[in-house]
Amino acid sequence: MNNPNHPAPLLQLDRVGRRAAGRDLVRDLNLGVARGQTLGLLGVNGAGKTTTLRMIAGVLAPSAGRVLLGGEDLYEQPGLARRRIGYLPETPPLHAELTTREYLAFCARLHGVARGAVASAVDRAIERCDLGDVAPRLLGALSKGYRQRVGVAQAIVHEPDLIVLDEPASGLDPVQALKLRELVRSLGREHALVLSTHVLPDVAACCDTVAILHRGELRHVGPAAEPVSDVVQVSVARVVDAAQWSRLPMVADAQAIDATRWRVHLRAGAALDDFAAALVGAGIRITELRADVAPLETIFLSIATGDVAEAA
Amino acid sequence: MSAALLARHEWRRLVVQPFAWILAAVVLALMAWQFLIAVQAYLEISPKLGGLKDAPGVTDLVAVPLLRSFAHVLAFVVPLLTMRSIAGERRAATLPLLLASGLGNARLVIGKYFGALGFVIVLIVLVALMPLSLGLGTSLDIGKIAASVFALILYAAALTGIGIACSAWASQPALAAGAAIAMTGLLAVVDAGARMQGIANAGINYLAMPTHLEPFFRGIVASVDVVYFLIVAAVALALAARRLDDLRASADA
Repeated sequence: MNNPNHPAPLLQLDRVGRRAAGRDLVRDLNLGVARGQTLGLLGVNGAGKTTTLRMIAGVLAPSAGRVLLGGEDLYEQPGLARRRIGYLPETPPLHAELTTREYLAFCARLHGVARGAVASAVDRAIERCDLGDVAPRLLGALSKGYRQRVGVAQAIVHEPDLIVLDEPASGLDPVQALKLRELVRSLGREHALVLSTHVLPDVAACCDTVAILHRGELRHVGPAAEPVSDVVQVSVARVVDAAQWSRLPMVADAQAIDATRWRVHLRAGAALDDFAAALVGAGIRITELRADVAPLETIFLSIATGDVAEAA
Repeated sequence: MSAALLARHEWRRLVVQPFAWILAAVVLALMAWQFLIAVQAYLEISPKLGGLKDAPGVTDLVAVPLLRSFAHVLAFVVPLLTMRSIAGERRAATLPLLLASGLGNARLVIGKYFGALGFVIVLIVLVALMPLSLGLGTSLDIGKIAASVFALILYAAALTGIGIACSAWASQPALAAGAAIAMTGLLAVVDAGARMQGIANAGINYLAMPTHLEPFFRGIVASVDVVYFLIVAAVALALAARRLDDLRASADA
């Protein structure tokens, strides 16, 4: 999963596994993340995402294998987690009775920032996460969106090498989610970042690489942005028949979804703009043209529903 | 270093909450009321004491009973102050911040412990100032008062340890407080049956807290009693640290 644009991984999971109560929560994980790279961890509930993130964040020691940070075993040198990892759990760990600034100052000290450097580190995190308005306010009085941003701020206040975010956009409204996505994207450019989410567009927008976990096993690792699919969905203004599609040279096959929507398979190498021009030329008035189900979604669903199908 | 940082943070979180101040105000009001009643009673009987040989003084009749009474109050106050230290973190989903900070379990527990104990010691000092204020008008047995205050600090150290351990094992702060009060009660009466049968020097007596607390109030400071309280605190903190290991692996940590 290391691509040529990224140097040696900062974080390396080497056959990592975790057992509890006689069963494997996760097993045999091999993953790597380099600085400037963002890994999206996908999986249904219970797939082992949070267990994996906890092992990466230094919270939970693996039962098997090693978690290496900069080549050093995280669990042989727990101080590494303190200085070099920032972790945002699924629920931001905020002390409601403190102000944003007080809380971030504590987090900075907790992660080893020298006393004299705390104020500037807090200012930087506040600016980065756009928390200036709420810096003097009690955390207990903040909205969900701000709480999530403070959660991110506590994870980056000590300028860690590796940032681990567990469902950072969970429960946010679309505007808040969009802002958070921008923040995560900017963090991913400077740090190694591991992100767990249920939201597939977040993965496509923020991640370089995606790893899909299912039942504690790594089922897929690949680039988050797949090449555009050669299957498109076309919505038309007027009813058309299958023969009209077959007359277009770049169309291999077309299936009606309903009266005005078609799923069209393009021939290999067919360009989307040529197809659009041919539609206009053929007098087919289109109201929407878009790639069919994203490849990532297809892969995720096939993995997630595979067991259901087997069971059936 | 990190344990000290956490202790200061715990102290800060305690003192910004109304709960701790209200609890402190109620406790101090209660002790001040007891103190005034004891002084009033002493003033009423002191003329009769003048004729007695080796008559008890104000230290024995006011100061030590007040501090002994405060020990009973601490058995309820300390669990209320410690109940949220770890159970409250779990409830608010803030424990992962500490678990992921690279602090070991031992440092984490010790930081929580000293943060809470610091607040309790302030309460002890404020209560001790009440009988010490009598020194302005009469002579006090400072040695006996110092031994009593030392006893309260040791007792509070053990209770705080028990409170932290219960807070680590219970999922709810109220459960943690209840468990700590029950544990303290158990250690107070564990040898009651033996004492009723006249047994005062058996192993069971050694387990009971009053066995080790009472000598201090008589002005006797014995290392065996000091060690007892330190052992109770250490065992409790070890259990709390052990529990954090489990919490790291659990979903609700």
